[in-house]
Amino acid sequence: MTALGHSRRERVAPLYAALRPRRVEAGILAMVAIVVVVAYVLASLGRTASIPANFGPFLGWMLALGFVAHLAVRRLAPAADPVILPMALLLNGLGYVMIARLAENVPGGSDLAGLQATWTAVGVLGFIVTLALIRPVRILVDYRYLLGAAGLGLLVLPFVPGVGREIRGARIWASLGPINLQPGEFAKIALAAFFAAYLVDARDLLRNRVELRDLLPIGIAWAGSLGVMVFQRDLGSSLLFFAVFIVLLWVASERTMVLLLGFGLFLAGAVVSWTQFPHVQQRVDIWLDPWADARGTGFQIVEASFALADGGLTGAGLGQGEPDRIPIVESDFIFAAIGEELGLAGTSAILMAFLVLIGSGLRIALRATRPFDKLFAVGLTTLLGVQAFIIMGGVLRVVPLTGITLPFVSYGGSSLIANYVLLALLLRLSHDQRTVRADGGSRAENPS
Amino acid sequence: MNRRIRRLGLAFAVLYVILFVQLNRVQFFGAERLQEHSINSRGLIRDFGQERGSIVSADGVVIARSVEIGEPVDFRREYPEGDLYAHIAGYQSLNVAATGLERIYNDELAGVTVEQQFRTLADLFSDRDTTATLHLTIRDDVQRAAKEALGDRRGSVVAIDPRSGAVIAMWTWPSFDPNLLADPDGSVSNAAFEAYLNDSGDPLLAKSYREVFFPGSTFKLVTAAAGVESGMIGAFAPEFPVTDAYNPIPAGVPIRNFAGGACGGDLIEILRISCNTAFAEMGAEWVGPEQMIETAELFGFNQLPPIDLPNAATSRFPTDYGVRLADVDFYRGTEDIILANGAVDIYEDTARLAQTSIGQNDVAATPLQMAMVVAAIANNGQIMVPHVVHELTGADGTRYGTTDARLWRQALRPSTADVLRAAMVEVAVNGTARNMAVDGLLVGGKTGTAQLGTDPPNSHAWIVGFAGTGDGVPELAIAVIVEAQEGASEQTGGVVAAPIARAVIEAYFS
Repeated sequence: MTALGHSRRERVAPLYAALRPRRVEAGILAMVAIVVVVAYVLASLGRTASIPANFGPFLGWMLALGFVAHLAVRRLAPAADPVILPMALLLNGLGYVMIARLAENVPGGSDLAGLQATWTAVGVLGFIVTLALIRPVRILVDYRYLLGAAGLGLLVLPFVPGVGREIRGARIWASLGPINLQPGEFAKIALAAFFAAYLVDARDLLRNRVELRDLLPIGIAWAGSLGVMVFQRDLGSSLLFFAVFIVLLWVASERTMVLLLGFGLFLAGAVVSWTQFPHVQQRVDIWLDPWADARGTGFQIVEASFALADGGLTGAGLGQGEPDRIPIVESDFIFAAIGEELGLAGTSAILMAFLVLIGSGLRIALRATRPFDKLFAVGLTTLLGVQAFIIMGGVLRVVPLTGITLPFVSYGGSSLIANYVLLALLLRLSHDQRTVRADGGSRAENPS
Repeated sequence: MNRRIRRLGLAFAVLYVILFVQLNRVQFFGAERLQEHSINSRGLIRDFGQERGSIVSADGVVIARSVEIGEPVDFRREYPEGDLYAHIAGYQSLNVAATGLERIYNDELAGVTVEQQFRTLADLFSDRDTTATLHLTIRDDVQRAAKEALGDRRGSVVAIDPRSGAVIAMWTWPSFDPNLLADPDGSVSNAAFEAYLNDSGDPLLAKSYREVFFPGSTFKLVTAAAGVESGMIGAFAPEFPVTDAYNPIPAGVPIRNFAGGACGGDLIEILRISCNTAFAEMGAEWVGPEQMIETAELFGFNQLPPIDLPNAATSRFPTDYGVRLADVDFYRGTEDIILANGAVDIYEDTARLAQTSIGQNDVAATPLQMAMVVAAIANNGQIMVPHVVHELTGADGTRYGTTDARLWRQALRPSTADVLRAAMVEVAVNGTARNMAVDGLLVGGKTGTAQLGTDPPNSHAWIVGFAGTGDGVPELAIAVIVEAQEGASEQTGGVVAAPIARAVIEAYFS
């Protein structure tokens, strides 16, 4: 293993090993580009039955963003996993097509497409900046308490007078001049880094003895996520934070007890909040029987079911359905819109794309050699996988519905930027571990 | 840690498989249930959010069209001819389930079939009206003549072109106004629907093809055809004995003629005067159940008629006549008759066969079925598939589909059809169907009076027949029933129903 004192340049892998993943990535990206462009053309034809006027600019804009991201990876993390970026761009592209198609139909939606394109650009920018600055990822370990504090700070930002905003009953917004952001989206990454770093420190302690003191972090995390739920009324984020923490604690401690305890606490919290908070009770009631008040509280999920049913196997065709009948379809319910117009084929493709992302993320975690890298990769992957599951499961009535975005697909700037940053961190982890291996290999052949 | 990470991967796989299973439940296995859910208005909004093709008659009269209204839906259906085509076109309504052609040609009228959506590659890049216009075989002038001739009597008129199976007129009174049912205002359409449902005349039911009636003496055409097909009966031989009662064998209630008269003679003669005793004997002792059932079923009895309209009724001819009696059971000193006829086996219920042979007992036929019987006789024994839709055309004149003349089945040998055609002409010239004859046309007919056994006596008055201009296949086959008329004489059909048939024939050939 190379000592830390070595300069990075010496550790860069041989050219052939480094560029092969990028060729694979370029190939997949080309296919993704074709899929997204064809989808956009079809969606436009479905609505207006002619090639849209802004077809050229759109094509250039989205293809350029994908190409720039690819070039950035070529330059900054040439050995990184080749499927992660294309999968994210596919989700982003299909989501964009859907948002552009919905823009004409949802209230106040005329700017949605332009805004989402802008957010994608900012997201790609964040992606490049992260790739360029955070190398290697473990430099974050040095800032762990700062990150923990920042995470908490971002979480409470919506309560700061003058900055915080309450939209649609959830106090999760902060306004920065004219722009509304969800600081929680960024907090989740900061907190995942903090958890990972903290657990690396505490790992040995956790493994050897069971003392009351060891349970303290679980208690704090539990209280924290309950706080998010109670004060911000954001059930989805609350569940997400708690799940990531428990998963990391379980992987770090290698103790099944942690899972049981976490699950027990979750159940306890769920039952207590179900009895104490009307908004939680309502969510559960809708989940159990949306038909009881199908025209009222259950309207959204019932309309989503109808949309999915209309989609059938192959979908109504892009631009041919009526997904705009579902409230907030462009954000939380975009999965139902895809289901209506692209059918089971389209929704299965979305599921597969997320599974590929999760698989790649966990493979990075498996191959990582440093405990922090491992835990952080697990944390980032769990964030992505659980968030996607919570919202898709909510739309499909597998779990109670909680308002949260579908990563890369839903409309929303904060979510898009945060997830691109998350992606860059995963790619950086992947690149680092692969160059370490390539390095090791070349040295074995050529000892110096 | 790697073992936990692998388990985490497994857990994610399980979670996503659950999502996939649920997706299949919602989008595939349970999709139909969701789409048909009572509060799911997606289908309706889609159907009423766009213009729909028109339905027009063979002579270009608009039967159904879309009218833009804006509220509460973009379009509604309008039926300019009111009740005239209600039983054929049906209706499409926001509040009441669609019927008729509006229902079964829904996709074509809405323009959503694959064929209509993507005819050429260029369609991908143009905004084209994909709806189709439904052109019917019904002629408005003939349909109108049928309605006027029947007036406010309950009954049905079915007229078919025997050469193609095209339905030229199909009218039933009482009918209904589809405009009321298609009213987008639920209070209007639902009230109208309720009223029609509760009406004792059952105006919503297209009795012309969805209700069966006792066919009475018109069924003797089927018995005669079975006789000729069997080879036992010719136009001029045998001669049936002149009698006022036929005593069925082995035992049963005697069958008598109308007004207790005596009649007999050859086939031409007994059909001309509609002689019950002779046809009862023909069916029971000369033709037998196998041939009777075979011929009746070849004409379409006991089978769903292949018409392109929904919920057609099946006409009935009884098939159960008990066990065949051994010769020893039967010989009771009646050898003479048996030997003389050279005839068929006798069954336990041959007495029932004597009744069904003259259209009594449990025989039941739709007016459409009786028109098909005549059409087969007129068209050399061939029954063409009956249809009311001629073709579908796109807005730019493209033909999506044409209903060509298609053979349903060969019901009779052409030679048999020739004999029956000649016999029916005789009925229209010198027999009970004289009121149907039209100068300058070759007309053949057969009347029927199906007694309903009521007091005072009531009967369905029938007439069936054909009319043509020359030596070829007659252009029109027709069946008319006027329900529950006073009286029960054999003349009823000729007096009540024949003028209606004549009016329709005159309208067709004018």
